[in-house]
Amino acid sequence: MPRASHPHAMQPRNPGSTRTAPPQMPPKFPMQGRYRAYTLFDWTGLIYLLLGFLALRIVWALGDGEAAWNFVMEQFQNPIYIGFHVLSLVSVIFVGVRFFGFFPKAQPPRIGPVKPPPQPVILAGLYAAWVGVTVVMTLILTGALFR
Amino acid sequence: MKHLLLKFEPLIWLLFGQGVLLGTLLLTGWVLVVGVLAPLGIAPLLSFADAHELAATLIGRLVLAGLIVLPLWKGAHHMRHVFIDMGGADRDATVAPLLYLIALVGSVAGIIAVVRL
Repeated sequence: MPRASHPHAMQPRNPGSTRTAPPQMPPKFPMQGRYRAYTLFDWTGLIYLLLGFLALRIVWALGDGEAAWNFVMEQFQNPIYIGFHVLSLVSVIFVGVRFFGFFPKAQPPRIGPVKPPPQPVILAGLYAAWVGVTVVMTLILTGALFR
Repeated sequence: MKHLLLKFEPLIWLLFGQGVLLGTLLLTGWVLVVGVLAPLGIAPLLSFADAHELAATLIGRLVLAGLIVLPLWKGAHHMRHVFIDMGGADRDATVAPLLYLIALVGSVAGIIAVVRL
């Protein structure tokens, strides 16, 4: 009966006789050269984690009623919250620019019978979607749409 | 534990990838208005009644669920790699489940928050 194998199933039980140098971190890691953008990209995880919980807090307050909603909105006027959100905005834009930059390059030559569009088309599509969603979201949240 | 993590790797990667893609698409306008422009008084924010009415629609609930859940998984998976890269590979079997548990608890709470609107 075939079953999924463990990815490390073929790993030898004992180390081989060939001596290898112990792995070492590259000298420029973590904040020099190309590693800086890599490391910062990873650290945006903390910002996203906090943003997820802040969004949860807002939606929960929305379900609790007007008093809870107003309380959260008042708290968001605290300079610490505003500072965090400015940092978050920079982080989100950084993630978008970096991720959308390498997304087209990461596409396989074929997806089933379909060939992906040229890289500049994918990139333009991603930026168009990003700007479009941001504009629509901004218009909705400021009450310019659907009020 | 490592074997279990490897089993769930495709699901975690799906949520992580969508957290980067859809999370970034949704969060930019959200953070701009809710976190910066409205608190500074530069732009108005929806009133409670309008916000609740919009959020309680099916599309509103889906967008809000995505806004909560996806960034949590993007965050958890990237923080796992921060720990690994900073020399914590030996502790990955402890740190990774903890981070994913945080994301899971937040996701369940997020879905409850959206359902109870």
